[in-house]
Amino acid sequence: MSQENKNSVQTTGHVWDDDLQELTNPLPRWWIWGFYITFTFAVVYWLFYPAWPIGGSYTKGVPGFNSVTYTATTVDGKQVKKTTHWNMRSQFMVDMNELTALQKKYFDKVASMSYEDVSKDAELMQFVNSAGKTLFSDNCAPCHQAGGQGKIGFSPNLTDDNWMYGGTYDQIHTTIEGGRRGYMPPFSQVLNDEQITQLANYVLSLSSEPHDPVAAKAGDALFHGEGAACYYCHGPDGKGKIQLGSANLTDKIWLWANIPADKTQEDKVNDIKNVIYNGLAKGVMPNWNVRLKPEQIKLLTVYVHDSLGGGK
Amino acid sequence: MATANVTNNEQYNYEVIRKFTIMTLVWGAIGMFVGLYIASELAFPVLNFDIPYITFGRLRPVHTGAVIFGFGGSALFATSYYVVQRTCQARLFSDGMANFTFWGWQTVIVCAALGDVLGYSQGREYAEMEWPIDILIEIVWVVYLTVFVGTLMRRKQPHIYVANWFYLAFILATALLHTFNNLAVPISLFSMKSYSLFSGAQDAMIQWWYGHNAVGFFLTAAFLGMMYYFVPKQAGRPVYSYRLSVLHFWAIIFLYMWAGAHHLHWTAIPDWTSTLAATFSIMLLLPSWGGMVNGIMTLSGAWDKLRTDPIMRFLIVALSFYGMSTFEGPMMSLKDVNALSHYTDWTIGHVHSGALGWVAMITFGSLYHLIPKLWNTKVFSLRLINIHFWLATIGILLYITAMWISGIMQGLMWRAFDDYGNLQYAFIESVAAAHNLYIMRAVGGLFFLSGMILMGYNMFMTIRSGNVEQTPN
Repeated sequence: MSQENKNSVQTTGHVWDDDLQELTNPLPRWWIWGFYITFTFAVVYWLFYPAWPIGGSYTKGVPGFNSVTYTATTVDGKQVKKTTHWNMRSQFMVDMNELTALQKKYFDKVASMSYEDVSKDAELMQFVNSAGKTLFSDNCAPCHQAGGQGKIGFSPNLTDDNWMYGGTYDQIHTTIEGGRRGYMPPFSQVLNDEQITQLANYVLSLSSEPHDPVAAKAGDALFHGEGAACYYCHGPDGKGKIQLGSANLTDKIWLWANIPADKTQEDKVNDIKNVIYNGLAKGVMPNWNVRLKPEQIKLLTVYVHDSLGGGK
Repeated sequence: MATANVTNNEQYNYEVIRKFTIMTLVWGAIGMFVGLYIASELAFPVLNFDIPYITFGRLRPVHTGAVIFGFGGSALFATSYYVVQRTCQARLFSDGMANFTFWGWQTVIVCAALGDVLGYSQGREYAEMEWPIDILIEIVWVVYLTVFVGTLMRRKQPHIYVANWFYLAFILATALLHTFNNLAVPISLFSMKSYSLFSGAQDAMIQWWYGHNAVGFFLTAAFLGMMYYFVPKQAGRPVYSYRLSVLHFWAIIFLYMWAGAHHLHWTAIPDWTSTLAATFSIMLLLPSWGGMVNGIMTLSGAWDKLRTDPIMRFLIVALSFYGMSTFEGPMMSLKDVNALSHYTDWTIGHVHSGALGWVAMITFGSLYHLIPKLWNTKVFSLRLINIHFWLATIGILLYITAMWISGIMQGLMWRAFDDYGNLQYAFIESVAAAHNLYIMRAVGGLFFLSGMILMGYNMFMTIRSGNVEQTPN
């Protein structure tokens, strides 16, 4: 399209707003051909995919052209091969067939072997770590954080040697499968402020944190007496009970009161008082048996135990 | 040219156009600022400050509402009232009704933003407004249609200029889309909430029939109307091809309405619906490009203007981005490409190459032409227009490059499997990987916003030097 001959092209003869006009140039050739090509493309596309609705059905594409074969599991557990025209569901099944075939032999092994044997099998552990990392990150990390280091005030650390509900394979399995519901009653109605202050000081003394020794001594009595009866859940030695998931108060590991972040002794006391005052009802972990398959839970158990540090 | 020189400012209602023009600049600055803020929230979530009113989820519709309906909508009201009067040589059908559309529309934008911040949303993208606001929109829109058609009917010459076809198509289609997408039964007279008339996949299809045609008619056809007036005006040359304008107009009108379901690929909608949407999107490519060809070729013989006229540069670069995103869109609507791009930042990048590159750039160019005319003066500083042009262009390039990279990266990471058939990446890894790109995107937004603010200053100074003789009513 040379620019010199522009002026020779006629306008339509209409003029708007002083100087707006339109030239009578024909459609650019490449434009009209491009338009035809997209139409052709559309028609070919319709041969490959379901496309036009007809009555209660639709065109399914040219048979053989776009057939998809996949394996499906029937309600009574039988594996059947199905061939159909292209559709989203069949596409999904093809992908899942391919991936589950890759995973199957490893998952079968995990399901049939004991935890200890899985743990000793180096090749199998590579699979456990590969699958475990993503399973953990997508399902567990939202609470337990990346790598399972937990978050004070929210979720327990899974990489240390402190297990509120026990750190053996079976105990971890039970926790993942059925979930956990931690509970500590509020003591605001039972104890007065002075008593709660004394208890807080005693709790701090158990972990050798800065505290008021006089108050702690009084707290000791309350802890082991029938008034507060803290020992009932936390044990006479304050080390907690895995049957109840009650915290070990002597190991300098803190879940609900953020003692490491508190700068002054007063802050630490207040932080613990807060827990005793209000109790805890937020230590809830959901049951994963409704979301994950048994072999996935078993694999996660090994992953949490071996790779994150439950064995310690 | 018999009609030349009989036009003068007293003949037209410029007052309502001036008001809409000023609000275009105001909403542009506000909407883009909110956009920059939420982009920063995505890069640095601490900016949510745990305040519910300013979390991403609530500010995002404030951003889209302010830029699409506030900035874009006000620009369309302003230019359509200007163009229809100038090309019909007729005053607006009713000053009172035109004025009502101004106050009504501004009320809609403010109420919609307040509703979003307070947590009122019917959960439909670009149609978050609850039913009382929807009714106000409906009323304003019918009045708008009346003013526009009434003015067309008063035209002094038999032929209707091409820009007006596009504006009218936009007004009619928007009325249709808005009405059907918001068919709902309020829970009670005094409740903001309502139940949609449709459910499930049908509801989703209605929503994306609306959503896609909002792009097609609000953000494409209407701005093509703007283009068809301001490009030939600024270039001082005739539109390249009348025949092309007729053909691509009707092709766009017919084809766009079918394409919405491509927003729902790989979901619970029927396969055939999805296929038709993909193919009609492909067939839309050339009709969309028709507008670009007609706009850019209008400049042929006057290419030197690109060097000398920064306003022309805005208009032509807008058309280039328009051509690019109308190519990208059909590609993304193919099933296999969509399997990669769906739910990723690629979509966000695509939307912004259209929204910033096309809609905003064509608006900037048109307003730089329009404002001195409305206030009967000269532009305060051409140099600032030039700086604005580069700020905007650099901003867009940073933005869409960041979103392309992060989008394709997300798509690839989400579908990556290792040799064992396990997912290779956890979702959170794709979030972490996008962090730097989100910063880059926010920087792009900062560039673009700076340009917008510069324009505001330049136009403020221009308007201050203007002299507006009272238009008789």
